[in-house]
Amino acid sequence: MATKNIIDRRALIAGSMTIATGLAMPAIVRAQAGPIKLGTLTPLTGAGGPYGPVMVNAVKAVVDEINAAGGVLGRQLQLVSEDDQTNPEAGVRAARKLIDVDKVSAIMGTWASAVTTAVAPLCWESKTMLATVSGADSITLLPHQGYLVRTQPNTTLQGRKFGEYALEIGGKKVFYMAPQTPFTQSTFDNMKAALAKQSGVAELLIYDDKKPSLRSEVDQALRYNPDVIFMGGYAPDTTVLIKDIFRAGFKGKLITLAYAVNQKVVSENPADVTEGIYTMAPSPAEGSPAFQRVADLVKNANPDPYTCQIYDHVNMIVMAIAQGKDASGAAIRENIRKICQGGGTRVVSAVEGLKAIAAGTKVDYDGASGPCDFTEIGDIADCKFRYEQVKGGKINLIRIG
Amino acid sequence: MSVILQLILNGVMTGALLAVPAIGFSAMFAVLRYPNFAIASYATVGAFAAWVVNTKSGFGVGPSIAVAFCVAALVGALCERAAMTPLRPSGPLAAAIASIALGVVLENVVRFAFGNDLKAYDLPILRDMRFGDIRIGPQQAQNAAIAVGIMVAVFAFLRLTRVGRAMRAVADNPDLARLKGIVPARVELAAVLVGCGLCGAGGVLIGLDTSIDPLTGFRVLLAVFAAAVLGGLGSVPGAVVGAFALGVAEELSLLAVAPTYRAAVGFLVILIMLTFRPRGIMGDRFA
Repeated sequence: MATKNIIDRRALIAGSMTIATGLAMPAIVRAQAGPIKLGTLTPLTGAGGPYGPVMVNAVKAVVDEINAAGGVLGRQLQLVSEDDQTNPEAGVRAARKLIDVDKVSAIMGTWASAVTTAVAPLCWESKTMLATVSGADSITLLPHQGYLVRTQPNTTLQGRKFGEYALEIGGKKVFYMAPQTPFTQSTFDNMKAALAKQSGVAELLIYDDKKPSLRSEVDQALRYNPDVIFMGGYAPDTTVLIKDIFRAGFKGKLITLAYAVNQKVVSENPADVTEGIYTMAPSPAEGSPAFQRVADLVKNANPDPYTCQIYDHVNMIVMAIAQGKDASGAAIRENIRKICQGGGTRVVSAVEGLKAIAAGTKVDYDGASGPCDFTEIGDIADCKFRYEQVKGGKINLIRIG
Repeated sequence: MSVILQLILNGVMTGALLAVPAIGFSAMFAVLRYPNFAIASYATVGAFAAWVVNTKSGFGVGPSIAVAFCVAALVGALCERAAMTPLRPSGPLAAAIASIALGVVLENVVRFAFGNDLKAYDLPILRDMRFGDIRIGPQQAQNAAIAVGIMVAVFAFLRLTRVGRAMRAVADNPDLARLKGIVPARVELAAVLVGCGLCGAGGVLIGLDTSIDPLTGFRVLLAVFAAAVLGGLGSVPGAVVGAFALGVAEELSLLAVAPTYRAAVGFLVILIMLTFRPRGIMGDRFA
């Protein structure tokens, strides 16, 4: 019995080795010749549910376009889409599947900051590139070794833009009023730094957003004698604030975020209360050629910012693969900045970029979400903002820039 | 000095707004013997009822508040009968928890009917009047005056009417009241109608200053509850005193701490109060 067993085991080992070698050898060859796999990990359900499906459609359209034009490095692209359910736990399971089973080179489109934070370590440990649309400052501070880029402006960039805009409309003395949020302090610090560059000053007041009246807070703001009050809250508390500021007879200028004084707030309140309020919001590069392409691909004249961003992700990743002549996550990490910043021929799609790269030209991708230039740690260096002003009960576009 | 005076003035105005629903809450507690947290949603219901008649039918502030009172009273009485009455024998804790659930259900009914968007009353917003360094909003002054008027009416009701006196009797001693031939169910109904109606009116007063959405009442629930506890749960004058004390204390705290913490200051006051005088400022008398 024993002898028979030993022989069997040897035979088994030998047989297995033969089979394994036989499978492994063509596998390597197959991997080189087979499709390059890319993954999307977007929320198809949960809070991000309205955005995820459109994002996936945009990526599919881009992939089809590239494949129709001959693929990249002579290989076709294959897209694998998973749902993160706007939930970190589901996101991790889906990411594991994309990385371990599908062996994708890159994951694109994680939406909620909590999901991105949970998925990022899996990516950098497996040397898979991660491109995200999440905004929390902490994400790019993770030890991701370059395996992460994001196209959503973080609060550092937003704060700086707030400060610059306050200066632009003549504010040297800015009073920032906001409820307590995880970004209030960092937004204010960056706004203050931007103001300080042109000898502007700022003061912060964090209020309780559940109070039915903010009169005393407004009094405190007015004692500072600001030229600009920046309101960093959400719609319900900002409504209380603009009324109390109006009653107090403030003569300076008001800036707030577009979601805090939206068309609904403007039409529900008397016109003289909202008159002259400036609003701003991060904006895709509306009117740019890449933006127009996204609009055509998803058949919507006003694609949302996340769809624009994931369109940029897939285009940049494919060009980075072409630039590095290698489809691995490590190669994408090495080459992604070479195709989207630092000057060169301006391209607005991968199809266009791939031809230029093949011809040995340096390209600089200009995306639908913005210029797509990244800092060391993977934040976008700049993005467009949409500036508007309320006049006569209507919100009027000043400019996008 | 003028800063302190301004803060006190702001506190009095906020207190006046809180006092109206706080009276309703306390009156219901005195008679029904459980804290009815659904008042947040009764305030929201009242605010929306007033919004409908104000924006669709052009009612002014006074008539809108009257409509809000009636609608909230009616909704409150129906909910009390349908949801709370069967549960009250299980004890005040079960009733209190059920009232929270009821509040959430009502909030979502409002959301279903009116949507989640912010709404505002169709009233002009006036600039404040200035007296030296002190500023007073004509609307805040008007709201405070309405609140005071409502309070006077409630006191008159409790003192001068038969039903009011019966409510006081039940609040003082339910068993003795029953011996005297007072029917508890009718007094309870009266307490619910008045209490929920006041919450509805309070919701309008709060909405006049802010904006209304399905969470309008919920945002002030803790402050209203705190005012009632501070004044003494179950005491109507206590609710008034508690609301003003809370309003003024929270505003005055701004002299020392950042505005983020002012809610905490209010609750610190309550903690101290309950430690040294658990029945509240006026907890020993209903009216």
